[in-house]
Formats: sequence, structure tokens, C-alpha cells
Amino acid sequence: MSAMRVDAKVVMLGKESVGKTSLVERYVHHRFLVGPYQNTIGAAFVAKPIQVGEKVITLGIWDTAGSERYEAMSRIYYRGARAAIVCYDLTDSSSFQRARFWVMELQNCEEHCKIYLCATKNDLVEGDRSLRQIDYHDAQDFAEEIGAQHFETSSKTGNNVDELFQKVAEDYNSTAFQYMTAEETGVDLGQKKDSYFYSCCHNN
Amino acid sequence: MDGVAQRGAASWENGTLAPVDRLRTERADSPTPGLVEGTEPGAGQKSAMFIHAQSFEDLTAAAEQEVGREAELDQPGECGEDLKVLVGEQAIEEQHNSDIASESRPKEEDVSSETWRSHRKHVFVLSEAGKPIYSRYGTEEALSSTMGVMMALVSFVEAEKNIIRSIHADGCKVVFLAKSPLVLVGVYRTCQSDKELLRELQYIYYQIVSLLTLTQLNHIFKHKQNYDLRRLLAGSEYLTDNLLHRLDRDPGLLLSAVTCLPLASSARDVVSSSLQAAKSKSLVFSILLAGDCLVTLVRKKDQFLHHIDLHLVFNLVGSSSSFREGEGWTPICLPKFNTAGFFHAHISYLEPASKLCLILVSTDREDFFNMSDCKQRFLERLNKRSAYQALKEAVKCPSYSVEQVGIPELRHFLYKSKSSGLYTSPEFPAVYQSDEEQERLMGLYQDLHSHLHHPTRPLRSFYRCSETENLLAWVTSGFELYLCFSPLGTKALAVSAVNKLLKWIRKEEDRLFILSPLTY
Ligand SMILES: Nc1nc2c(ncn2[C@@H]2O[C@H](COP(=O)(O)OP(=O)(O)OP(=O)(O)O)[C@@H](O)[C@H]2O)c(=O)[nH]1
Ligand SMILES: [Mg+2]
Repeated sequence: MSAMRVDAKVVMLGKESVGKTSLVERYVHHRFLVGPYQNTIGAAFVAKPIQVGEKVITLGIWDTAGSERYEAMSRIYYRGARAAIVCYDLTDSSSFQRARFWVMELQNCEEHCKIYLCATKNDLVEGDRSLRQIDYHDAQDFAEEIGAQHFETSSKTGNNVDELFQKVAEDYNSTAFQYMTAEETGVDLGQKKDSYFYSCCHNN
Repeated sequence: MDGVAQRGAASWENGTLAPVDRLRTERADSPTPGLVEGTEPGAGQKSAMFIHAQSFEDLTAAAEQEVGREAELDQPGECGEDLKVLVGEQAIEEQHNSDIASESRPKEEDVSSETWRSHRKHVFVLSEAGKPIYSRYGTEEALSSTMGVMMALVSFVEAEKNIIRSIHADGCKVVFLAKSPLVLVGVYRTCQSDKELLRELQYIYYQIVSLLTLTQLNHIFKHKQNYDLRRLLAGSEYLTDNLLHRLDRDPGLLLSAVTCLPLASSARDVVSSSLQAAKSKSLVFSILLAGDCLVTLVRKKDQFLHHIDLHLVFNLVGSSSSFREGEGWTPICLPKFNTAGFFHAHISYLEPASKLCLILVSTDREDFFNMSDCKQRFLERLNKRSAYQALKEAVKCPSYSVEQVGIPELRHFLYKSKSSGLYTSPEFPAVYQSDEEQERLMGLYQDLHSHLHHPTRPLRSFYRCSETENLLAWVTSGFELYLCFSPLGTKALAVSAVNKLLKWIRKEEDRLFILSPLTY
């Protein structure tokens, strides 16, 4: 299993063509591919190490296909995920409905999965405000309601993309720390445990 | 294209020329391969890799059985009217407001236009309730009334306990394939036989099944006859588009065979055994592709892959850049293996910009990381061996030139070994460089194929000369061969070339074919 040591499973969810693949592409390869849109088939997995403070955390990112065809299959992709990036397209109100669907699904099936609500294609609405179909505050309210973080991103310009994944990794890191101390020792939450965690992490 | 068949084609049927007998005598004292299945060049040494899909006949047999009683409507007078409705429907229902995105491909053609009507091959898929599911050209919405008429025709004939198979009229053929719960209709302006056209429709049917499984299709339409299947197929239209494109261009689909990357057998054996070593409990097939060529295929003992399923995999991988990034993990139904369920395929390229794509087909949808690990082990093993370098070199020139064969006037050929289900063919020579020319040549091969595999008058050999080329096709129980000569070639030359070519293929067979397929 040498090449595939993954710390945290992260799943990308959202209606087709909202820009999930572009988001991963931007984050992992620092680029935005123009050209005809290619739907993802099934799902694509990519492992990406990320620096959090002193540590390196490897995110295992599952970029799922938005097509309804795979809906019945979606559990295998989000099961056990520590974080879900639920995407919607700022210029497409139906994609927000779909995002609500995914949030419900996660709340029902994966209660330990932290949800990140992610608006995409911010560059389009910056260029032309009339294109915006989802009000920032509506989305923000929804995010608060479900206890999610909310980001507006653009894979085209790169706006807020690194911040999103950085936040995912940091949150994982701090909760992993809690989990681990709680599980391993049962007590001592919040105590100075850095050195302990560090060695434990390296033994995986 | 249409003209070729009529234009002074000097065709001869078996018996008029004597290649069979002549060759038989020549073979007696030559090392030339046998004409008998299993001894022809390219025949596998151990077991075959594929399900024994001997030939084209096997493939269409199923359809024919299902058809039972047929009603071949061949009266242009009466059916001309119906046909006009089909191919020239003028009144278009107003566009339904559908939220299904069809912008992703350039098919917003005006379906009442002459260009739309003059396409050589139209393909329509509809549900038994007459709902449009797929159309090659033009949007399904715009065509819903046309498809309604098609369904009405099918039902009308069915009501009489007959099955409609085809309508011929006005230089145009309409071919029907009823595969409950789907109905496929092709409208063609070609001289291919109904049987060939039916085969193409079958491919489209399997393409759809491979995305959804037949079980799911049946389930959906049992519960909701009026279901709009495009909801589930959204974003997959380009797979069907590409498959149709391949049907016009890929000899493998015509021959029901697969071609291999030419590679020294020593290198191929190392690649195969490395793949064999990277096994896992749930793994059924490991397939290594280089573009549209097979490098090697390792399978679970007693499990066979059908060439149609393999072509669907080729089409999936070749149509999508989505596997370029990271590792793909997708459900896939291999309909010739089992129409009921999904396999899960791990799909990834060996290196970021490489053409080498590895497909690991697993029975367990939870087994992604195991598959990923198999790939890793395969790569590690391969990386240590010089065969990997040889493989990468071979990928750079995945074909060979016909000049290597050393037969003057020979421009191109297709050779299929029946027992292995593999074929070989050189690259297109300079005269067939353009897409149109290549498609024209493929059209000629298709035509020869139609004659050899005619449902009632199959031929063993066929020779045709035209202004642009001379063609010879020949089928035995061991192989199928299609040769294309310059128009300067003669019949005698063509016949003598067969023997020479077979000898050459025999000499090269361990490079051009996979002679010793492996199992886990
Ligand atoms: N202007 C702009 N276009 C974007 C952005 N992100 C994605 N797109 C475009 O939106 C289309 C869909 O992007 P994808 O990333 O492939 O969408 P997806 O969510 O992965 O779609 P599925 O794989 O079908 O679920 C593509 O044409 C992208 O170029 C963005 O930030 N700005
Ligand atoms: Mg995608």
C-alpha cells in the first residue's frame, strides 16, 4: 500500500457540470483546462499531500460524477469520508437544489462527515452580476443552518480554491487530533499532545 | 459510396477462380499456415482470450432468433409514404422545454433541413412507449414526432404478430431492432446489408446497456413506461456518438476482432506475466491498452471477455479524458458477459502523458484500494524490467507499413485469425491519408464483408476491380482476409499475393498477435 497512504477521505459532490473536476484540477495541478466539457465517468481518485503547520496530511480526494446515473452508486464514494465539498454553480439555481439534496443525504448517512458548501464559477458572476442566480446571503444562511463552512470559488481564476482545501485539511487535523487522543487514551482532551500525535502518525 | 456496387464491379463467386484449391496444393509442401481454424497465423497457442465469438454469424444469430417471424416490407410504392414521414418529417412539434442539457454536443441541427436529411447514417433510440432516447443528429425533442411514427410502425406490424425488420425505399433503408424495453432504428443511405446494419444497432444497444444494465432498464420501464431515459443517460451521448464514428472507421468492429500493439513477444510476455502477478481476489480481467490496440489481457481462469465488451471498453477509454487525472473507478456492465450487473473498473494511465492505459475489472465495488495496489505492484515490477522500455518504444510506432510485406501493388489489408479473435492491419498508405479516403476504403471493406457474410448466399471469396483500386476478400474456416491493391494489380497477382501475405504474417505472428494469453 506504499503509494496510497491517505489520511483523510474527501468527497466532491454536486450536480453535473457545476465544476467539481475543475476545482480538483485547479487545486492539484494549478491549472484550468479550457475546451469542451468532459463529464466525469463514475469517479476519479487523487491523493494530494498538503502542509498543515508542521505536518503533512494526505487528502484522498474523490471527484464524483454528477450524472444521476451514478446516484445509486454514490455511497461507495462518500462512505467514511471525513469531509464533503458540496458544490453548486452560482449561475444555475437548480444546482443549489441538488446541493441541498446531497447535504440531506450526508446528514442521514454520514454524520461524521464535515460539510463544506462550495459555490463555483465566481468569475462569471464577477464579470456579469446578472448571471448570479444564488444570493450570497441565502447560501450563507443555509450553510449556517447545517453547520457548514461556505466558500465562493472560481477554478478559472483560482480564487478561494487553495483556501478551501487548506481549511479542509486544517479542520481534519484538529479533529483528528481530538479523535485520536479521545480514542487512544480516553482522556486528556486538549492537553499538550503534539509529540504523541506526531509519532503515532508516522507509524501508520 | 452508393455507386461503387453497381459500377462495373466484376465480381466472381466461389468456383470461378480457384484460390482455395490452388492454395491447398501449394500448402502441401510449404510452411504456409493452415486454412483450418486453430492453425492459421495468429491462432493462440493455448486457449483463446475471448469468448468463442467465432464470427459475425455468431453475433447476429441472437438477433435473428429473437426475430422469429419477419415481415420484410419491400414495396417502395406503399412504404414510400411512411418513409417520407420518417426521413423528411416537416412538421416539427414545438420544442419541449426540457432541462436536460444537450448543448454539450453540436447537434442543434435543423431537422427539417436538407443537410439533416442527407446524413448517411441516422440512428434513433426510443422507448417502447415511443419516447425519444437518443438521436445521432438533431435533438431528440425536435424529433419526438418522427420517433412516434417509428414506434407506430413497429407496433402496427407487431399487432399482426409480425416483427418489422426493414423498409427499403428510395435509395434508403430503414432497419429496426426491437430489444425490449428499447427500440433502435437506423435510417441509412449505404449499400451495406440489413444484417450489417443490424449489427451496428446492436452495438448501440449494448453501449446503453453497459451504462445502465438491462436489469435496471427493465426495472425502470416496468414501473414507469413513460420514463424519460435521457435523464439517466445525460452526459453519455458522446459515447454513443463516438461508437457510431468507430463503426464507420474501426476494422475491429467490422471484423468482430481486436488488434494488438506490434511488440516483440519476449517483451509482451514480460508485460503479461507482470500483470498476471499483480492479481487480487476480486480481479476478473486486467487489460492493458495502447490507444486502440491491445497490449495484453490477463483473465481469471474460465472467464472470457467478449470482443464486443472489449470494444465498449475501448470506446469508453478512448472517448474520455476523464481518466487522465488520477485513477478512475467506475461501474461498468459488460453486456456480453452479463447484462444483469455491474463490474467496477479501475482505469488509469501508466504515466501522465502515456498512451498506455490499464483497466482492472473487479467484481467488488469496495475494492478500489486493492485495485490501486495491483496497479502499483504491476508498475513496480515493470519498471525494473527492460521490457517496459521496449513497450514504450513500441507505443511510439503502433503500426507498420505495408511495404514490409514486400508485395508490389498491395496497398492495405485486414487479416483476422478466427480462433484468436485478433486481427492485424498495416497503417493506411499515402493514398488513403485523408479521413474521407480512409472512410471510403472502410466502406469498401464493409461491402466485401457484406458479400462474404450474406445471409442467404455467403461467399468464400470475392474479387472486384474498380477505377481506384482492386479488392480481394477471402474467408476460410481459419481466417478472414481483405486485400486492397492499386488499380494496376491483376486478379492473378491478387491471388498469388494471398499466399505470400499469409507466409509473411506467419513469420511475424508472434509480434503481431498475442499467442500465449495468460490467466491468473
Ligand atoms: N468560467 C468558469 N467555468 C468553469 C469553472 N469551473 C468549471 N467551469 C466550466 O464548467 C464546465 C463543467 O466543469 P467540470 O469541472 O467538468 O464539471 P463537473 O462538476 O466535474 O461535472 P461532472 O463530472 O459531469 O459531474 C466546464 O466547461 C468548465 O470549463 C469556473 O470556475 N469558471
Ligand atoms: Mg467531473
